[in-house]
Amino acid sequence: MAARTRRIVLAKVGLDGHDRGIKVVARALRDAGFEVIYPGLWLSPEAVVRVVAEEDADWLGISLLSGAHLILVPKVVELLRQQGLHHVRVVVGGTIPEEDVAALLACGVAKVFGPGSSLSDIVRYFQDVDSHASR
Amino acid sequence: MQAGESAQDLDLVLKSLWAAYQQGERRALARLLTLVDQAAYRRTIYKCLAHAFPEQTSLTVAVTGSPGAGKSTLIGKLLPLLRQQGRTVAVLACDPRSPLTGGALLGDRIRMPVPVDEQGIYIRSLATPPGRQGIAENLDVRIALLEKFGFDWVVIETVGVGQADVAIGDLVDFLVLLIPPESGDEIQWEKAGLLEIADLVVVSKGDLPGAARTAAQLQQTLNLPGFPPKPVTVVSAAKNLGLSDLVSRLMQSPRRRRLQEYYARRLLLLAQEILAERFAEKKDLVARVLEEARQNGWDTWEAACELARRLSENGH
Ligand SMILES: Nc1nc2c(ncn2[C@@H]2O[C@H](COP(=O)(O)OP(=O)(O)OP(=O)(O)O)[C@@H](O)[C@H]2O)c(=O)[nH]1
Ligand SMILES: [Mg+2]
Repeated sequence: MAARTRRIVLAKVGLDGHDRGIKVVARALRDAGFEVIYPGLWLSPEAVVRVVAEEDADWLGISLLSGAHLILVPKVVELLRQQGLHHVRVVVGGTIPEEDVAALLACGVAKVFGPGSSLSDIVRYFQDVDSHASR
Repeated sequence: MQAGESAQDLDLVLKSLWAAYQQGERRALARLLTLVDQAAYRRTIYKCLAHAFPEQTSLTVAVTGSPGAGKSTLIGKLLPLLRQQGRTVAVLACDPRSPLTGGALLGDRIRMPVPVDEQGIYIRSLATPPGRQGIAENLDVRIALLEKFGFDWVVIETVGVGQADVAIGDLVDFLVLLIPPESGDEIQWEKAGLLEIADLVVVSKGDLPGAARTAAQLQQTLNLPGFPPKPVTVVSAAKNLGLSDLVSRLMQSPRRRRLQEYYARRLLLLAQEILAERFAEKKDLVARVLEEARQNGWDTWEAACELARRLSENGH
């Protein structure tokens, strides 16, 4: 039986309007064989979680450049839990200072990609985890 | 299905999902819409859906047209309109899969903003096989799941219309073809025969110059003496023009989906799938028939007939 294609919602949360970075990541993940759902800019945590639920996604990648990650990310994770979406792995990218990474991981984030991360690091991460994952 | 997962586990998983689905839980619906891609689950889902002839509940509309024709934007604008009229709507938004990697970038939702607490709308993105012919796999089961869940409308956005074995026209009540102004699309679509198949031809982006001219050209092409008239309308999602007219047309026109044929088609498709599986199980038979063909001097056609005969006998 063919392995099913893993579905990734890639979202921008919060008010910053830059989407170049996330679009590049979206394309790279598509080219690595993932189904990437891109719901657009300026989403609230509630809206993102709604998309994840409707799309039955396995992953949520959140990109934040606004500096509000310590507020918004825990909110998203909490909402996912409330909706019974425990299995969804959350990955955070953007301008995340080194000293905030531990706090994000502690609240349930699976991985943080800070400013220094390369595209191939990100793609490889998804591929590696995917090859071990089952659901 | 993972290795080691038994048929019983699978039944258990599905049983609880199905119960939740029947309670109207959207999470369960979302999960089932994914699981239909796995043959073992799909079989059980067909069992759950039960009747070969359920009464028709939803109005199903396919919106098709070239990339960038304005399909998502139009659907996004129809959603609040339908909600105002008290209708609930599910959208299956299809985008093509990359032929090389199998991956897909599904971005239709961007143009369909929905209030977060709006429970009357459900949007799901699907990847389709590449090319204009492709429609999403297992679209029929997915539509059936959304119908049985109780949506008044099921809208399918797709670039492709399918081909001989599954054509979108067999799965829906209305096939709407969107053509942007001055695109040359009308000629392409005419060649592909889609202008004829479409129930409704709609010129999109009616706010752009050239929309009226494109509509007039289409009128001329489509409404030849001796042929049944086919409506051509103009909409502008950007300027909210012609949208409620489109909705009332869809509500008032006779539906194309004749259930008898629709279910006959579905049965045929499933039977093909079952035969293909059986075929895969009996690969050694091919080698045997090939060997016999060599010995007996059969030509290719004779050998194929013999193979088909043996495949269809002693099935389980
Ligand atoms: N002027 C004008 N532009 C429109 C209108 N509707 C859509 N567009 C624009 O046309 C472009 C494509 O719109 P989409 O709705 O994404 O088209 P689509 O057919 O869904 O495209 P794909 O899903 O990529 O095949 C966007 O830039 C829209 O802003 C309209 O009514 N008027
Ligand atoms: Mg679209």
